[in-house]
Amino acid sequence: MIVGIVGVPPLELMKSYIERGAVMVDLDEPVPEMPVRDVYLPNAYCSILKRVVSNIFSLREAKRLDLVLATVGKCKCDGMRNISSWLERTTDIPVMKVENDNTAPAGHPICTSGLPAAEKMELIVNSVFNPIPEGLELERTAPTCGFWGVPPYDFSILGLLPDNAHLYGWTRCMENKTPADIDLECHVDPGVPTLFFTQSFCQKSAFAFNLAKKHGGLFVEVDKKLTRSTKAKIEAFLEFNVYRK
Amino acid sequence: MFTGNEEQTISATSPAGSSAGVLVDCGTSYAKVHYIDTGERVIIPSRRLLKQMELYEFVAFTGHNYIKNAKRTVNELVALAEGALALIDEPDFTVLDSGARDVKYVHVRDRRVVGMDWNTECGAFTGQIIELLTRYFEIDAAALPRDAERLPVVCGVLGMTALFDLISQGATHEAAFAMFLRGIAFNCETLVGRPEKLYLSGGLCDNPAFVKSFSCETIPLGRFVLIEGLKSLEKK
Repeated sequence: MIVGIVGVPPLELMKSYIERGAVMVDLDEPVPEMPVRDVYLPNAYCSILKRVVSNIFSLREAKRLDLVLATVGKCKCDGMRNISSWLERTTDIPVMKVENDNTAPAGHPICTSGLPAAEKMELIVNSVFNPIPEGLELERTAPTCGFWGVPPYDFSILGLLPDNAHLYGWTRCMENKTPADIDLECHVDPGVPTLFFTQSFCQKSAFAFNLAKKHGGLFVEVDKKLTRSTKAKIEAFLEFNVYRK
Repeated sequence: MFTGNEEQTISATSPAGSSAGVLVDCGTSYAKVHYIDTGERVIIPSRRLLKQMELYEFVAFTGHNYIKNAKRTVNELVALAEGALALIDEPDFTVLDSGARDVKYVHVRDRRVVGMDWNTECGAFTGQIIELLTRYFEIDAAALPRDAERLPVVCGVLGMTALFDLISQGATHEAAFAMFLRGIAFNCETLVGRPEKLYLSGGLCDNPAFVKSFSCETIPLGRFVLIEGLKSLEKK
């Protein structure tokens, strides 16, 4: 059985499928040899959800998807709730709507470690249903700057960040296994220059926009690939707030 | 403003056949060129500069269009901040650069940059659309109505859709365009946090209708602010 997940379904539920021999596929992430087909949703829509839906249809066509565990509710954005309802009503794709209201914190040592930001993000998205690699040493560091938000469609943005950049927002909630923890999602360390990232057309942009204002950070909105102008804007922010201080 | 006649009026001043040392702000539509030896400044279409790179020795470069063989490349926001600090004596100020592709600003407090942003995604390309519409409608910017209401302009394309909708309902081209400009000015003021006084940089500085569309006091600094920034950095 092949089970696709969207967001962070309850861990026990995922474990129950794994114990029965299911192969898990993270539908938020690129699937090798299955390019995103932008034909299922309006153009002005979150790129990550476009990828999720494209992955669902592509895998289903290839007979490599038996069930979708779709997180809806406050542990995810409203987009997936609407998409799940549409899939349920108009396709034969089995979709199980689930909510993850776990409040037991697992900790977030990856987010606050000294690993490069892109490496941190890879570890976190790869540990949704797998344990983090054994022997990984995660020493807590003082943050030089911050990245707030969801795992981006294009990870190259993370390569712009200096050493000891900490991860905040929903990414931290992911690592903590508490994706509905709004307080943790809104937490940033005061005084740390932070990029408040959002995918274009994401409902969470309301958080990113206003948290950036509140904390004097930089609101960064990206649709798919990082543009040269957005890259330059981030570089200038880091120049003024990190490197010149 | 992007008047549409820059090519006729200023491109002829570019020295021919020379490989002169220059500071360049190579924007989406126009390149601002400062000749180091003579102090002469010209504005030429960026596409022309990019086709004639052999004419120049790029001592320092900033701008949207990348020039790979420049001796020094400076981030546009850094150039804007340095240029504004060189031109403005006040300890606290906000300067907004309105170009063809996007707008960007820096807040300065006690002569230090404390805030900045750059609208790189939705909301972009408004300057270029002002230029295109000015040419398309053959509009005299000085003749635009001054009491226009604001048209909601989400981005250049959606704003243009709303503009043509107004015209289809009977508004004059001039009235609709004036409302479009008010919408862009409103967006700019929102982006910079609605200061009482705003210094303006970039191509839209030369558009009196655009400058007057702001609700706050505006002080145009011209199109060479980023060049001033490059000059300032060269001295350091």
